[in-house]
Amino acid sequence: MDEKPQNVHSGGGGYGPCIATRDSKPRDRHMIPVWFFVGVLLLVCGLIILATGIYEFSHPPPTVLASLHPALWWGALLTLVGGVYVYFYWPKKS
Amino acid sequence: MNLSLSIPAAMLWFATAGSGPAVQHLIALHWPDLLIMGFYFAMVLGIGVYLKRYTRSGEDFFLAGREMTAWVAGLSFLSANLGALELMGWAASAYQYGILATHWYWVGAIPAMLFLGIVMMPFYYISKAHSVPGYLQLRYGESTRALSAISFAFMTVLMSGINMYAMALVMKVVLGWNIHFSIWVSSITVAIYVALGGLFSAIFNEVLQFFLIWLGALLIPILGLVEAGGWSGLVQRIHQNFPQGDYTHLWRTMGHFADNPMGIHWTGIVFGLGWVISFGYWTTDFLVVQRVFAARDLRAAKMAPIIGSFFKMAVPFIVILPGLLGLGLLNFKLLPESAVGPGQHSYNEVLPLMLARYCGPGLLGLGITALIAGFMSGMAGNVSAFATVWTYDLYRPFIHKGAADSHYLKMGRWCTILGVLISIGTAYVVMQFGSIMDYVQALFSFFIAPLFGTVLLGMLWKRTTSAGGFWGLLSGSASSIAMFLLVKFDHNMLAYIALSSHAKDMAENMYRALWSWMICVIVTAVVTAFTKPKPVEELVGLVYGCTKLPSEGHLPLWKRPIFWAGVSLAVFLVLQWIFW
Repeated sequence: MDEKPQNVHSGGGGYGPCIATRDSKPRDRHMIPVWFFVGVLLLVCGLIILATGIYEFSHPPPTVLASLHPALWWGALLTLVGGVYVYFYWPKKS
Repeated sequence: MNLSLSIPAAMLWFATAGSGPAVQHLIALHWPDLLIMGFYFAMVLGIGVYLKRYTRSGEDFFLAGREMTAWVAGLSFLSANLGALELMGWAASAYQYGILATHWYWVGAIPAMLFLGIVMMPFYYISKAHSVPGYLQLRYGESTRALSAISFAFMTVLMSGINMYAMALVMKVVLGWNIHFSIWVSSITVAIYVALGGLFSAIFNEVLQFFLIWLGALLIPILGLVEAGGWSGLVQRIHQNFPQGDYTHLWRTMGHFADNPMGIHWTGIVFGLGWVISFGYWTTDFLVVQRVFAARDLRAAKMAPIIGSFFKMAVPFIVILPGLLGLGLLNFKLLPESAVGPGQHSYNEVLPLMLARYCGPGLLGLGITALIAGFMSGMAGNVSAFATVWTYDLYRPFIHKGAADSHYLKMGRWCTILGVLISIGTAYVVMQFGSIMDYVQALFSFFIAPLFGTVLLGMLWKRTTSAGGFWGLLSGSASSIAMFLLVKFDHNMLAYIALSSHAKDMAENMYRALWSWMICVIVTAVVTAFTKPKPVEELVGLVYGCTKLPSEGHLPLWKRPIFWAGVSLAVFLVLQWIFW
């Protein structure tokens, strides 16, 4: 937001003034948003866990409630969420 | 610092674990787990390499260009505190003390986070300070800044080393990994990605960590409640297993020190934890506040801690509930670390035990990666905060003034490497002398409460003088050290400092924080009365009453931070009522 500067004073280092209330406009960096990386992480982890969940139909792990197949539906959930994030935050070429 | 002030169970574990004969590790990893872990390490390194091109100035490196949105700043603000030591330590405390451990996530965090967002962030942000010591320099002068910066820099790098050692121990006990391997691999990874990308890297990885921790840990409470038959089923099972204790009420047993397993009175929780300790930590600890400094504008800076507060309220679901599930579902009892024999398990192992109970290959890897991510993010946060405070608050004003920004950027990168090396050294010292951790934890508590008093008076009372700020901070810290030593040398003093001979260590910490804060405030006020304040013109942007705060009246209600702070506070109060 644009605000009239009320006063100037040094910004914590004593070297050079800075505006008291004005917020600097962010530079246009074309940085890949962090949400894309979140999506990639969830997608890859989701696919690995989903594959494991499918494998567990024939080789169930010795865990409590293994009959609910948590790896299968949790892997599917991560794959879905990760895929959505990757799709929506895919880096666009300028 | 991503260690909360009191994690007694975890601290004791780290002092003794790994020193006895080798024990069979809790979890065996399979190839899907190793794939997930390997991918995570490759990703964090790749993000660091990618972000290096965007760190071209000191502000880029130390404050992520001040470009973070409210959501990114908010999630990393929370993640900076939500380390693996927290997760494991508080799950252990929940097993030991029941739902009382939740106080550290609710009354011990939410009011403070909201206060930071609504009251304090405008002054932090408008002043354009680079750090909390930087704000103190503007408000009080160099001597107060130096005192705060030296203590913070020293403690934060020590805590990073403790964090690193704790992680290595966890990996040894849970997975059977070699301690040295864990220390060096994680340190080198953190050093690379923080030295390359600065706070950008640290924040990006904290956001990743946030998702990993939630998605890695969330299955435990979900499956646990299915097995237990819901919350009421769990409560019933806990009462069956432990008929003599009350583990599921938040406030009912706080009327007397002897009525609850923590040995705390409600005044200690409300005024010690809920006021001084939590406000001191959440509003002045630069490790967490730095993430909010990186926000893109004032509204984002105000919203970030408010967004964090909603998620903070939900954290007990993945931290406290596993501990309670351990109480209700495990068919063996966990023990204090000092009482563990062959084939038995300690409180600290409750989270890995519950993880192994429900999670097969793949899911285990996700959970373990979440723990590793938590440890590494904690280390990265400490190191990036250390680099900022060292460069801007000690090196630039006192050692090498007036250099180009590129020089300070280079100093920041080298300081990151140095910080990691010091942390590694600390980890090895702690390996030899485990009791040091008790003292480092206490060291942190000496400064945080008085610092809160100093910053609060500085922001809200324009009459406070520079001399008052300095002597108040020094007196408060010295009194905290004195009280700590008094109890160490004469345990009977506990009855005076913590108001009861039944009080436990946690209660002592809380009351000591309260008294040291009060001493800081009183000394500040007294010295202020006899010294000259700064002219009002020099206080613009720093103090309430001298600063025209931007109005939000033109914004719709749902866009105003105060509205969401009100919603968060309402949810907090409802939770207290539900779990009374």
